[in-house]
Amino acid sequence: MARPLMALPFASRLSAVVARALGKAACAVFLTVVTLAVMAPTPARAAPLSIGLAADVSSLDPHYLNAAPNIGVASHFFETLVAVDKDGQLVPGLAQSWQAINPTTWEFKLRPGVKFHDGSPLTVEDVVFSLERPASLTQSPGPFTGFTKAISAKKVVDAHTLRLTTAQPYGPLPLDLASIFIVSKKAAAKATTEDFNSGKALVGTGPFRLVKFRRGEAVEMARFDGYWSDKPAWESVTLRILPADAPRLAALLAGQVDMIEGVPGADVARLKKDARFRLEQRVSWRTLFLQLDLFRDASPFVTDNAGRPLDKNPLKDLKVRQALSRAINREALAARTLDGLGVPASRLVAPGIPGHGEKPAAEPYDPEGAKRLLAEAGYPEGFRLTLHGPNNRYLYDEQVLQTLAQFFSRIGIKTQVETLPLAAYFGRLRHADFSAALLGWGSLSGDFALRTLLGTPDEKTGWGAWNWGRFSDARVDADIREALASTDAGRRNRAAETAMNQAMQQLPVIPLHHQVATWALRAGLSYPARVDEFTFAAQVRPR
Amino acid sequence: MSDAAVTRPAAGHRFPLLAAFAAGPAGKAILALLLLVLLAAFVGPVLAPQNPYDLAALDILDARLPPGSPAAAGGSYWLGSDEQGRDLLSAMLYGLRLSLLVAGAGTGLACVAGSLLGLFAGYRRGAWDRLVLALADLQLSFPALLIALALLALSGPGLIKVVLALAASQWAYFARSARAAALVEAEKDYMAAARLQGLSEGRLLLRHLLPNCLPPLLVILPLQLAAAISLEATLAFLGLGAPATEPSLGRLIANGFAYLLSGEYWVSLFPGLLLTLAITAITLAADRLAATLDPRQPG
Repeated sequence: MARPLMALPFASRLSAVVARALGKAACAVFLTVVTLAVMAPTPARAAPLSIGLAADVSSLDPHYLNAAPNIGVASHFFETLVAVDKDGQLVPGLAQSWQAINPTTWEFKLRPGVKFHDGSPLTVEDVVFSLERPASLTQSPGPFTGFTKAISAKKVVDAHTLRLTTAQPYGPLPLDLASIFIVSKKAAAKATTEDFNSGKALVGTGPFRLVKFRRGEAVEMARFDGYWSDKPAWESVTLRILPADAPRLAALLAGQVDMIEGVPGADVARLKKDARFRLEQRVSWRTLFLQLDLFRDASPFVTDNAGRPLDKNPLKDLKVRQALSRAINREALAARTLDGLGVPASRLVAPGIPGHGEKPAAEPYDPEGAKRLLAEAGYPEGFRLTLHGPNNRYLYDEQVLQTLAQFFSRIGIKTQVETLPLAAYFGRLRHADFSAALLGWGSLSGDFALRTLLGTPDEKTGWGAWNWGRFSDARVDADIREALASTDAGRRNRAAETAMNQAMQQLPVIPLHHQVATWALRAGLSYPARVDEFTFAAQVRPR
Repeated sequence: MSDAAVTRPAAGHRFPLLAAFAAGPAGKAILALLLLVLLAAFVGPVLAPQNPYDLAALDILDARLPPGSPAAAGGSYWLGSDEQGRDLLSAMLYGLRLSLLVAGAGTGLACVAGSLLGLFAGYRRGAWDRLVLALADLQLSFPALLIALALLALSGPGLIKVVLALAASQWAYFARSARAAALVEAEKDYMAAARLQGLSEGRLLLRHLLPNCLPPLLVILPLQLAAAISLEATLAFLGLGAPATEPSLGRLIANGFAYLLSGEYWVSLFPGLLLTLAITAITLAADRLAATLDPRQPG
């Protein structure tokens, strides 16, 4: 078949192909640039204060998703009856005072003279409406209902007094109410979550009004001049969403933002030396742990070494969980993977938070012991496991997972890592799709954290709302219940500690570390480092 | 393909196309560069000091050591180590292999599927032609990265899915070229003669039409391969594709990205250079191949 080569059009076709390939490359480059540009600094706006946030906010509806990025942004527009100061102590917010008038009734006195952004006064009806709204958002990927379920009746006593009754004696109701934002009934009664994002329903009492929400990019706000408390020092503030570490830091160094949260550990030392910036640091309330599938007999991401399903779920075996815990070199994890921005953890709340205890013994790093435990449990050759986690939600989350995979592989558990974007991750976590998943939790009290994370799941009471591994232990439940029922702080803390010790002996989750939170600011600014890791523009002050 | 080279000055050589390709210093340099990349990718991992995909071989205590640092397990990290304590040199060699394999599989799949569709469309014409053309135009109207991102977002991570995503975002180039060639070739006398012999359609397409439509496909193939490597790297950089514990070059670059501003340049720089080298080598080779196959250009 000696045929001549294709005639004339070939050269032109070739050039077309080349041109197209170049065009394609240009397209790829363009899109990459666009993608990077979303993460990277764009020219600064004329805003007196601009803050780079480390996590994206999925909605401005303050009752939609119980996750710190959303709560942090919502706190600029909305307030709660009970506020939390920088050290985690409860202080008066929209409620001027509160007290338990009997073991099952709490009375809250509303602060007079508080106005919403639309000028209307805060009324007790708004509060009642706000306490009921979370339960109506049935599509929430992480509901706030755990904080309102204890309330069995609401009684309006007068224009400024509300009595809340609980079915059982319930000490920490004020702490629960520190998580429920008060919205305007008038603005939100018929509003959807989308109406909050558009700004239509976004009417709160907080120090800022919404100017514009650019999803995935920025939240623009203006000072609310009718604010009842200390007015912010800034007329307008932009919260920039900069989830990638390097662009966030670059934005600060280039002067495009005045302040960032979540300073990468590798850069802390360098920033400390730079006179143009100030650092604020403290061990935060956020504790990271691996949540384990304890309810399925065949867990989806555990197989034998050949990839076949196992006849039983090894994670249900305490010895296997102990082996996992002892395989982890927490000191190395904190020092190297986290660049020092972590403290080894053995409890589900941070040191200093009620329920943590004085100095609980941290799990020793003992790979040989871990191997022995695995062999005793019947897995001398180990098995295969996939760890799941978010990317860019917690400090170095993907790296932490890889380091864990490294530790587990060393004792013979062949470990894979899969990370997902936050929204997809929480959605699948909620469906208990994983075998072992990374979760971070910040709480101001141990009984609270235990109720949500390890209490036997019950939709009616809101217990175990984030207990996706479905750990269930009657004694732990009883201890948590006792702590929660105590109105006496000392008794409550002791019971919370007992519950924590009880629970952690069984390692239903593998505690990893407490995060160290770091902010970097222009030298002319100051910020009170908060134990809850939140970044509140209203508390940033010129020095 | 041998038909093509018969017309070249190097006729009579045992591998006429190769001889034509490597004629002159430029050709030899390109060939050497290509061989270097291929050796690094497929022989390199055998010689690598560490298996970076064996997590038990890594040590977090050796994380982010500068080039030349001694390793806890003995030896040195010649190009430094990354944030998990992987030997960067080993990780780069394994990563290059992974990048080439994934991009190669994706492009190969796109080539086979696209060419067959294009041939069929060009030969049959009519409704089939319009259908394939419409599908191809639809694909070409979206940037390849967008298609790949959308597919991976829908299907979740995994190497096989990256291969499929690469194929899905590239087949149209092959389909359109094959179709254009088939339109011309199908009209020629040898095809009429073959048809008159009563040969089956499959035989007509694969044995008679396909070989004569190959040259343009051969030119696009390496160009698309280079594009696929950079696309795969982009996807890996964005965290899609190979698992984090088995990084390809794009993922290695992303790993070091966070430390660039801290002066720990090596984690991103070296994989980036290797990626550039690989893409340059393959693109140059593609150009050279196009020139070699073009009858109107002096070799």
